[in-house]
Amino acid sequence: MGATPLITNAALPLAGIRVLDFTWVVAGPVATRILADYGAEVIKIERRPGPIGPRQTGLQGDLHRNKRSIAVNMSHPHGVAIARRLAALSDLVIDNFSARVMRSWGMDFASLSKLKPAIVCVSMSGLGHTGPRASYVSYGPTLQALAGFTRLMTEADGEPAGYGYSYADMSGGFTGALAALIALRHRRRTGQGQFVDLSQFEAVVSVVGPALLDIAVNGREQTPPGYVSQEAPAAPHGVYRCRPRDGDDDRWLALAVRSQAEWERFAAALGAPAWTAEAKFRTLYLRIHNRAELDAHVAAWAAGQAAEAAMADLQRAGVATGLVANGADLCARDPQLQARNFWGTVTLANGRTTQVTGVPMKLSATPGSIRTPSPEIASSNDYVLGELLGIGRAEREALIAEKALWP
Amino acid sequence: MNEGAALAGLRVLDLSDYRGQLCARMLADMGADVIKVEPPGGDGARRIGPFVDDLPHRDRSLFFWFYNLNKRSLTLDLEKPRGREILLSLVRGADLVVESFAPGVLARAGLGWDALHAANPALILLSIAPFGQSGPYRDWAADDTVLAALGGMLYVNGSPGRAPVRPLGLQAYHASAYYAAIAVLCALFARDRDGAGQWIDLSMQEATAAAVEHVAGSYFGDGRIEPRRGTLHWSRYFRVGKCRDGYIMHCTLGDWTSLVEWVAGDGKAQDLTAPEWNDVVYRATHAEHLFDVLDEWVKDYSRDELLERAQTLRLPYATVRQPEALLEDEQLAARGYFVDVEHPELGRTIRYPGAPYLFNGSPWRVYRRPPLTGEHTAEILREARGFDAGELAALAAAGII
Repeated sequence: MGATPLITNAALPLAGIRVLDFTWVVAGPVATRILADYGAEVIKIERRPGPIGPRQTGLQGDLHRNKRSIAVNMSHPHGVAIARRLAALSDLVIDNFSARVMRSWGMDFASLSKLKPAIVCVSMSGLGHTGPRASYVSYGPTLQALAGFTRLMTEADGEPAGYGYSYADMSGGFTGALAALIALRHRRRTGQGQFVDLSQFEAVVSVVGPALLDIAVNGREQTPPGYVSQEAPAAPHGVYRCRPRDGDDDRWLALAVRSQAEWERFAAALGAPAWTAEAKFRTLYLRIHNRAELDAHVAAWAAGQAAEAAMADLQRAGVATGLVANGADLCARDPQLQARNFWGTVTLANGRTTQVTGVPMKLSATPGSIRTPSPEIASSNDYVLGELLGIGRAEREALIAEKALWP
Repeated sequence: MNEGAALAGLRVLDLSDYRGQLCARMLADMGADVIKVEPPGGDGARRIGPFVDDLPHRDRSLFFWFYNLNKRSLTLDLEKPRGREILLSLVRGADLVVESFAPGVLARAGLGWDALHAANPALILLSIAPFGQSGPYRDWAADDTVLAALGGMLYVNGSPGRAPVRPLGLQAYHASAYYAAIAVLCALFARDRDGAGQWIDLSMQEATAAAVEHVAGSYFGDGRIEPRRGTLHWSRYFRVGKCRDGYIMHCTLGDWTSLVEWVAGDGKAQDLTAPEWNDVVYRATHAEHLFDVLDEWVKDYSRDELLERAQTLRLPYATVRQPEALLEDEQLAARGYFVDVEHPELGRTIRYPGAPYLFNGSPWRVYRRPPLTGEHTAEILREARGFDAGELAALAAAGII
C-alpha cells in the first residue's frame, strides 16, 4: 500500500497531537473521530481479520474518517514492542477494553508512564476499572438498558418500544473525547500526564438529566415521558401523523406550542378552525388538562397536511415545529443542513466519493474538517512503521513473516 | 480553592438558558470558574420542575440544580445599558462566553462577536442555537422534541406502524452540550497556540444528527432509510426479552457456545444447537427467530438471576431497569458516582450525580452547590470592578443587579 500524504493543516486546533487508538466497536471510535476531525493524528491499532462489511462507507466510513490504520498483533511480543514504541511518540493512548486487556500487554498507564512520564491514557471501559461490576461485559444497548433509558421508552400499553440505536455509544464517545481533551490541556499547562478511568455506563447515566435528582430528592418513580414536554409546559406537544408522501404514510410532524402567543399564532395559521376557539382550549392550563381532546383535533388536522408544507407554514407563524426526519429527509432533503454544509464528502481509493456525518460545531478560525476517508486496515503501515518508527522494509517483512504485523 | 484542577484558571461567563447550561456545568466540574449570568428575576430554568418536595420556588428547582452545580450566580439586567456595560467589563477578564440567545439578539444589544472580540481578542464565544447562526432555518423556533425530530433522533425509535417514541431527558440539548464543551477545548488549544479567540457556531440540529450512530451511515452507505424496529437494535444483535419479573436485554454478540450450552441445558435450545448459528452474521440475519427462541427460554428466570449468570459466563446481557435502580446501584456507589452536597439553607443534603470519569491527576469535584439567585453578585462585582457597598446598593435600586 502506498504512503498517504501526511495530514498537515496548521489551522486545525489539535494539529501536533498524536493519538494511539486501540478503540473498537462504536463508542471509542466516536471519541477518536472527534479528535481526528480537529486535527489530531489518530493511529488505529487494528488486527486482521477486521470487522465484517465495507470499511470506507456506511457506519465504518463515518467512524474512522481522518484516521490512520496499522495492523499489529498484540499477542506477539514484537507487536507489543512496536505499540510501546509508538506510545512513546504519542500524547494520548486510548482504549475501550476492560481493565485487564491493556495491563496484560503492558500498555496500561502504570507501564506507559515509565516509558513516557507525561502520557495521557484514557480507558473507556463499559462500567469502569474499579467496583464490583468492573468485569461486566457490555455494549451500548445493554448500558442504556441498565441506565433506565430503554425501560422508559414505551408504547401506550407500557411495553418497551425500543431505542433503535445505541445512544450510550454516542454519549460514551462524546465523554471520551471531552475527557481526553481536558486531560491533554491539563498536561499542556502543567506538564503532567494522567490516567482517566471513564465508565461508559456513567456517561449514559449522566445524560439521564434532572430526573436523577427527582429520584434522589423526591424519591419519585419515573414514568415514560411520552410526549409530555420535559421543559416549558406545552400543549399541543407531540408528533402527529401527516398525509402520505409518495405512498409513504410514515410521515410525522413534531409540534410544541408553549406560550399563549404561540397558541394564537398556531390557531391563526390553521385558519382558525372552530375547535381552536373552544373555551376548553383557551389557556395553557386548559390545553394541558384537555390534552387528549386537543391532540385528537390536531391529529385530524395533521392527517390532511404534507409534513414539509405544514412545517414551513407554522414556522412562518413562529410555531416550533419540525418534521420527524427519516434518513432521506435528514441526509438528502434538509435545506438547513445543506446550506450549512453539514454533511462531509470523502473521496475513496476507487475514485468514487461518499458522504459522511459532518462536524456539528463550527469554529470560526480553526474549523474541524473531513480530509481523508476511513483507512483500509494496515493502509498506514508505511507511514507509521516506516516514517515514524524508522523500521525498514526488510525488517517489516520479517515482522510480517513472524506474524507480529499484518500487511 | 481549585488549585490543581484540570481547568483551573478558566473564567467562563454563562449567559445561556437551560438548553446550553450543561456545557459550562461540565467545565465547572473540572475546576473552571463559571459565573451564571441571570436576569434579576432569576434564570428561566429556575421556574422549571421538578422542585424539591414539589414546592415551586426559584431556589428549589432540581432542573436548574442539575445544570448549574459548581457555578456562581450574578444577576445582571442586560436590557439596561449599565448592565451591558458591566457585562462588557467582565468579558475583558473572561476566557469564554456561552450564550444561547436567538441568533442576532446579542449583536443587536451591542454584545455580538465583533463587540466582544474588540473588548477581548482572546475571548472564545460559544453560541448555541437550535439551527446555528446561518441558513434558512436560522430563525426557526424549536424545543428539544422538534430538534430530536429534525435531527433524525426520533424517527428510528418505536415500533413499525406506530408513532415514533421519544427518549427520557432532553437529549438534543445534552448531545449539543457535549459537542459544545469539546468545541471549547479545541478553541482553547488553538488559542494556546495562536493567542486568538474565536467564535463557535453550534447548531443543535447538527449535534443531534451527529448523535445518532446509524441513520446517516445507512443512507449514504446503501441508500437505506433506517426504519423503526421496536426493541430490535438496528445491528440485529440486541432485543428486549421478558423475564418472570421484568425485562432483560438479550445480546447475541458474546461467546455463542456458552450461551447455547446454557440454553440447551435448560432444554430450551430448539434449533439453536445447529452449527450455522455459530456464525455471527447468520445470527443477525435470522435475529427474529433467534430472539423468539431466547424469549421462550428466559421467561421463567428472574431478571437478576439471568443477569448474574450471564455475566459469569461473560455474556453481555443486561437488565432493563427503571432509573430508580441507579441510586441503589453498587457499581456506581463503589466508584463514588453520586455525591452528597449540603444545602445549608434547606437544612438538608442533596445527592447529586457526578462526572462519568475518574481522573487520577486532576479529578472533578464538587466545589459548591448550585447558586441561589444572585448569590455571588456582590462578590463578583467587588472582585472585578471594585464596587463598594454604596455602588452595589445603587445598582440594586436601579434594578440592574
